[in-house]
Amino acid sequence: MAIAEFLLFVLTTTLGGMFLCGANDLITIFVAPECFSLCSYLLSGYTKKDVRSNEATTKYLLMGGASSSILVHEIELQEIVNGLINTQMYNSPGISIALIFITVGIGFKLFPGPSHQWTPDLYEGMLHSWFSSFRDYECNRSIRRQKDHPKMIISWLLRTNQIRWFFFSIFLTCSYGTKVEKIEKNQSFTTTDEGFLEKLRIIVAFLSVTSKVAASASATRIFYIPFYFSSNEWHILLEILAILSMILGNLIAITQTSMKRMLAYSSIGQIGYVIIGIIVGDSNGGYASMITYMLFYISMNLGTFACIVLFGGLPPLAGFFGKLHLFWCGWQVGLYFLVSIGLLTSVVSIYYYLKIIKLLMTGRNQEITPHVRNYKRSPLRSTNSIELSILFFQN
Amino acid sequence: MMLEHILVLSAYLFSISIYGLITSRNMVRALMCLELILNAVNINFVTFSDFFDSRQLKGNIFSIFVIAIAAAEAAIGSAIVSSIYRNRKSTRINQSTLLNK
Repeated sequence: MAIAEFLLFVLTTTLGGMFLCGANDLITIFVAPECFSLCSYLLSGYTKKDVRSNEATTKYLLMGGASSSILVHEIELQEIVNGLINTQMYNSPGISIALIFITVGIGFKLFPGPSHQWTPDLYEGMLHSWFSSFRDYECNRSIRRQKDHPKMIISWLLRTNQIRWFFFSIFLTCSYGTKVEKIEKNQSFTTTDEGFLEKLRIIVAFLSVTSKVAASASATRIFYIPFYFSSNEWHILLEILAILSMILGNLIAITQTSMKRMLAYSSIGQIGYVIIGIIVGDSNGGYASMITYMLFYISMNLGTFACIVLFGGLPPLAGFFGKLHLFWCGWQVGLYFLVSIGLLTSVVSIYYYLKIIKLLMTGRNQEITPHVRNYKRSPLRSTNSIELSILFFQN
Repeated sequence: MMLEHILVLSAYLFSISIYGLITSRNMVRALMCLELILNAVNINFVTFSDFFDSRQLKGNIFSIFVIAIAAAEAAIGSAIVSSIYRNRKSTRINQSTLLNK
């Protein structure tokens, strides 16, 4: 397990994600998520010796491969429709079929409601292998002497974490501000958060977050621009997806005993909220609210996965503004049912976040408590700065 | 040759390979079905570009991209299959019961 391959996979994944966010035509929309997905299969199967991570990678590969092929089928139908639309076939059934295929294809990537089966397995398998080997690394000095070990870099990054949180959050909010301006002027939709993720965070966090960000960015582009005339149909489809994912994600998360699975299911629920933002669209700043929520989601999940200590009370607080904006935009457009379900499931999600905090305070996990004291300071810093700058930019 | 015949062929291939992907117990067979899906889509692309786009051949170019990506995906899938085989000495999918709910 040399370090050269590891860096190569991480960088290529990031490259794929960035291409996806800046995609302007159908070929890029196919090739970029493929590039991203292939490298993330390799990342998830990086620890070859661990059987659980192998199994998780297998599931991820098969599901990801199936979804990519469904997506390419849709792209082919989409291109046919574009070719035929010159001969005036506006409301043909071909458009509806193409729409269904692309919703299924993108649905697998983003994992909203019905396609969420592989997510908890993936997170559990990967996190298990990474974190058990990481714990061995910290406790065993003979491994530490190997200079080219990827865990050496990761542990160094985690130990010198606090100042970077501060600068990272400041920079992130500055870049966020410029992006919101671009969205409101309907310019190109690019996110460059991934470029800084790779320098600072651990791999599972990276994978989980960037795939969501890239997929949701591409989803907004795909649903809004080519399918503009049939917007009623994909509104209905996305509403169904959002409801299913919010309900399923939050309800199943209550019954989980493994923390990694709980985090996976909570991330499924978050995607439901993000989909509301996609549905709302450009009027009333729907895209802006989605980006805001994505930002909170990024910082929340990165911290979570990076040290398995959930900044748990804080997501309901820091992410509160993001959710508020999302629900406010949804309410203004008229999605009353969706927003009410979102509110209910947010209340439910607070329950399992608080459960983690309770575990944290009672200090049952012995190996985490040294890290807890290190990281308890950093969430306060990061979320405060993000909140203040968000409020500032919204004015 | 009529357009519908070729479209029926590619739809048939697509559905057979999705069925094979879902219900195959062997990992290598699942990878082969994945390749078949992408090939079915390629047939569709080439057919449509032949019938509607004789000047620019956009569908043909797209199918070249799809071929390249299918090859890369097969390579990565084979790497994962070989790492599983080294750990377990078998490639059956229904033995993967470690990560349960």
